[in-house]
Amino acid sequence: MKKILTKPFGEIEVDESQMIIFPDGLFGFENYKNYFLLENPDSPFLWLQSADEPTLAFILIDPYLFKKDYELKISDEEFYAIQIEDKEKELLHFVIVTVPPDHPEKMTANLQGPIIININKKLGKQAISLRDDYTVRCSILDELEKSSKIEQNSNKKVEAK
Amino acid sequence: MLVLSRKINESIIIQNDIEIVILDIQGDQVKVGLKAPKNIKIYRKEIYDAIQQENIRASQSKLPKDLKGLIEK
Repeated sequence: MKKILTKPFGEIEVDESQMIIFPDGLFGFENYKNYFLLENPDSPFLWLQSADEPTLAFILIDPYLFKKDYELKISDEEFYAIQIEDKEKELLHFVIVTVPPDHPEKMTANLQGPIIININKKLGKQAISLRDDYTVRCSILDELEKSSKIEQNSNKKVEAK
Repeated sequence: MLVLSRKINESIIIQNDIEIVILDIQGDQVKVGLKAPKNIKIYRKEIYDAIQQENIRASQSKLPKDLKGLIEK
């Protein structure tokens, strides 16, 4: 175990063998290649914390939690880049969340640049979505509302039967 | 910036293994074909710029202390 300084939690202990390498970094942050995935207690969010720069961390979320019809559509080269052989067993993917200061309800998710991680080989990458309708600022609460409406409608259909 | 004029089906070679072909021109749109080794990353610039800008905004984000009611686990 090793002590590191983190943006959300200050000094914490991490298991170095869990460090995830992003060989290309993230767009705009190409020089930062080493990260730890940290859970945020009692919330659906995770932190992608730089192992080298305590002030650099990104908030992540599983996109299916707010967008039931989310689709990870990226080119096969992106999976090769992190040596994915078996998506079911190795692939984790998230989207990065932006929270505007003082307006958490306006939080957005970047659906255009999803984060993919090979959890066995500890390799990560920011991919580019091939869906034209995915943007870098998708409102999380709007999508949640849409998803719950879809759910309500499908429940109604079941009742009607 | 180096400026070259090309016609349809003419191409440009960069560093022996990157080829840019002009496939079609229709009005103000040019269809470009790119042949390059797999390790060469090719992006539409506006998408690259948008993701980069959003990453910078995202890196300044903080989670509110009280998340209750905002989004359930």
